[in-house]
Parts: sequence; structure tokens; C-alpha cells
Amino acid sequence: MTTETTNTTSAWAHHLNILGLAGICGVLAFAFAWQLAFDEIPCPLCLLQRVGFVLVGTGFLMNVRFGSSPLHYGVILISALAGAFAAGRQTLLHIAPLDTGYGSPFLGLHFYTWAFIAFMATIAYCAVLLMIDRDQRMTSSSHPGTLARLMMWLFLALVTANAASTLLECGFGACPDNPTGYLWLP
Amino acid sequence: MIMVLPFITLALTIWLGITGRRRACLSGWLISLIIFGMWCSYHMTDALPLSF
Repeated sequence: MTTETTNTTSAWAHHLNILGLAGICGVLAFAFAWQLAFDEIPCPLCLLQRVGFVLVGTGFLMNVRFGSSPLHYGVILISALAGAFAAGRQTLLHIAPLDTGYGSPFLGLHFYTWAFIAFMATIAYCAVLLMIDRDQRMTSSSHPGTLARLMMWLFLALVTANAASTLLECGFGACPDNPTGYLWLP
Repeated sequence: MIMVLPFITLALTIWLGITGRRRACLSGWLISLIIFGMWCSYHMTDALPLSF
């Protein structure tokens, strides 16, 4: 492989990792916006699926920040499997006939079903990335691009917002299985 | 069981990543994954409405 080809595939992989991080930010932002707009309180399993997405996003962030490596891709894959486990468990919980599921559906599917699809899609996306990113190399660059920095700080802001929302909902304890309101809000 | 805990550890993990501390970031991810597993076992012990 020529140096020029190597640089092209590395650049592609870098941009696709930023896109992956943007996708995770999109999922978190959409779930958060839905929660606020329709006053739908997330259940504990829903919150665990959000944690799963954040775990996945951490792998993308490490690829963007430190350069790609098999370890970072492993972080993404293990996190996606963990998230899919939580989403699959909740899907099975509501799979029986006459069960109306938890929360309102979006485009005909509940959010936990969408989450399962999203985690599976992440695994497929990561497989494609591994095929493209044949010359994985760690870089010690302390100056990622503007778009990369923007995405990383947006990701941190969304996770902090989710932490604040979860704190309002559950306080410093476990959430009830079917929450009806925020514990710390009147 | 503190529901907000994995969000806090992950926010810290991401901040460590952004500020360039890779080893600490990886450790934070691993700790968060373990908490995730423990919280899953806490919330997923009731029987599923399925029969095999």
C-alpha cells in the first residue's frame, strides 16, 4: 500500500469515527429532547441503554482523540454488545401479546427496540470501519480538528445533562421500575 | 444502587479523554462498564413473560 493510499484511508477512518461520535450524540440528544418535549420519564432500563450509548461513544472519542487502535475498536464493540443486551432484555420483557410496552412508540417501534437496532447497526458500522482503517496508528496529536473538538465537547455536555436529569429523577438511589415523576422536582 | 453513578463516571471518563489522558480514560470506561453490568443484574432479575 502506498503512503498516499494509507493517508487517505486513515483520513477516511478519522472522519467516519467523528461521524460515529456525532451519531451517538444524535441518539442521546433525540432521547433527551423526547423526554423533555413529551414529559416521558425514562425507566431504569432506558437509562441503562443511554449508558450503553455513552460507553460506545467513549470508544469513538478515543479513536478521534488519540488515533485509531484495535483497543479502541474493541471498546466500541464490547459497549455495543452490552447496550444490545440491555435493549434486547427490555424488548423481550414487552414482547408478549397484549403488552403495550413502555413509553410511546416512534415510527411504530418503542425506543428500546430502536436502541437494539442502533446497537446492532453500530457493530456493523464498526466492522466496516475496521475494513477501511487498515493502517491503524496511534497519534499523540494534542490538536484534533475543530469539528472533532466540537463533537467531543458536545458529547460531554449531553452526558452531563443526562447525569443531571437522572439525578433529578432518581436522586442518589435506584429508580423505580415505572417512574411517574422526578423525585427532586415538586 | 445509585442510578446516576455510571453517568458521573462516564462524564469524568470523557473529560479525561478530551484532556488527553488515555490510560485514565480507558480505566474510567472499564469501571463504568462494570457498574453498568452490576446495575443490569439489579434491574434484570424478574422473570420474562416467555416460555421455552
